[in-house]
Amino acid sequence: MSDESKSIWQNVLDFPANVKKSIFRNPLPSSDRGRAATSFSNLFLHIQPVRVTRKALKPSYTMGLGLISLFLFFILTGTGVLLMFYYVPSTTQAYDRMLDLRSSVAFGVILRNMHRWAAHAMVAVVFLHMCRVFFTGSYKTPREFNWNIGVALFLLTLLSSFTGYLLPWDQLAFWAITVGTSIAGYAPFVGKALKFMLLGDTTVGQEALLRFYVLHVVVLPLVLTLFVGVHFWRIRKDGGLAKASEPEVEPVIVVAPVAEPVPVLAAAASASAEPTRRFSLQGLVRGTFVKVDKIDPDTVFSWPNLLIAELFVLLLTIAGVLLVSILFNAPLEKPVNIMHPPNPAKAPWYFLGLQEQVSYSAFWGGIGVPGIELLLLVLLPYFDRGKQGIGRWFARERILANSIFLLFVIVNVILIVIGTFFRGANWQFVSPF
Amino acid sequence: MAAVKTNEPVEEQMPRRKFLAWLSGVGIAGTTLAGVFSTFAFMKPRATYGQPSRFQIGRPEDFPPGARIAIDTKRVCIVREGNKVAAISTTCTHLGCIVAPSMTGFACPCHGSQFDVDGNVTGGPAPKPLAWFQVTLTPSGDLEVDKDNEIETGTYLSV
Repeated sequence: MSDESKSIWQNVLDFPANVKKSIFRNPLPSSDRGRAATSFSNLFLHIQPVRVTRKALKPSYTMGLGLISLFLFFILTGTGVLLMFYYVPSTTQAYDRMLDLRSSVAFGVILRNMHRWAAHAMVAVVFLHMCRVFFTGSYKTPREFNWNIGVALFLLTLLSSFTGYLLPWDQLAFWAITVGTSIAGYAPFVGKALKFMLLGDTTVGQEALLRFYVLHVVVLPLVLTLFVGVHFWRIRKDGGLAKASEPEVEPVIVVAPVAEPVPVLAAAASASAEPTRRFSLQGLVRGTFVKVDKIDPDTVFSWPNLLIAELFVLLLTIAGVLLVSILFNAPLEKPVNIMHPPNPAKAPWYFLGLQEQVSYSAFWGGIGVPGIELLLLVLLPYFDRGKQGIGRWFARERILANSIFLLFVIVNVILIVIGTFFRGANWQFVSPF
Repeated sequence: MAAVKTNEPVEEQMPRRKFLAWLSGVGIAGTTLAGVFSTFAFMKPRATYGQPSRFQIGRPEDFPPGARIAIDTKRVCIVREGNKVAAISTTCTHLGCIVAPSMTGFACPCHGSQFDVDGNVTGGPAPKPLAWFQVTLTPSGDLEVDKDNEIETGTYLSV
């Protein structure tokens, strides 16, 4: 009796430690083995490799752009879910709810600001990330498919931003979406049907608002999350960040026979009819990152090196978004007036290059040229097969490819600048000075 | 399976297995296709909640000769010359903005398209002239515009 009560008392004393032990499998690591185990056995940490190259940690190599995109997506998800609690996708209520965010919702303004600016930032950062990957030649074999996942993520980012643009139901929103969906209507064969299906009507109205809302808060974030998952998975499976001195680029399937069966497999192995065919749990892996007994000397443990770098980027991202959100308010124009388009009616800045093109020809500017550009981006890694200059910024061997891409970037930036600053009423050329 | 001893040739069993595999494949593909098709059909509304495309705009007397009155809510401009009446679309053929009547005809605020008084393109990126809609006189004496019925530019209704 006394023995038992003593053990219960002991359990009470041990309670906090036992809870902690039940949650965290490993104590804070103090040895290399522990650092490896920490990365390996934690759901959130196992996404990362146990060891990373020093180069991957250098801010000047990746600039953390992919990570910033991810954190912006987290911020957008967080603020977006909160904003949903006060938003109604109705043409009669949406705009009033925007005003309510200012007047009667605690932290309403800062939340909307954060959501808006993080969305703008995400479009920019995802694009810059794409530029980084291009200029370091990181899309080459075996990373072709992941490059295309990235292109899809860029499009999904644009679509998310575009669908969100309508939701405040102000003049800016209404006319930007009117113009944007009309561009979709120029697509050959399916254009008209696509536009009708997107709007749920022939013009932008209640149906369009509801459809864009559902796309914005459910469909696109889900697809985006799935693609982000595949993107990260492929980074690992394609051998981590592109390295300059990677001697072996072709993925090699290595089947490692195991001399002594692993206990987990023992039962299964003994049940097998052919005991000679045994594979370790990780027997089928790509050769590029099997590091048994030959650890790259230029690598460090992810715990804590990578983790600290990531936390630093996270803090920087949050600080940046907060700072901008405190300094600048998200725009909200007058409520929708179907009779009077603002003059000029401008799309969000990242579509102004497109709108500038569209002012010359609706089909070629809105469908033809962007379609060709997209096709080139998708096909690029399958036709640029050179193995030179991978993992280095502006490698001399890749001067042609880099020049072409730089031209593509500059042209689009110039178009955006013209559309933003040099276009006035009736889309006439005006000088901002 | 090895225990099943049979004198019949092995080929006898394969067609059934192949057939079942084929049947499953067709089933999965068919289900996917039907799912995609029905989703699209679902997303395409059968009835819209917007404005009707056929509507009455008032009596001919409301539009004195020489009038060019844009009804922005309906996105048409009613034109009367003498005793002839017509309805010209004010939806820009470029990207769907509302064009406004100007000194020379119509002008679009979005991308700078210009149209003459009959809606023919005189400048800007618009690819087509503004549409003309059929105008009829109802038995009650009201003018009725049918936006589903596009007619040739310059076709007036005499009133």
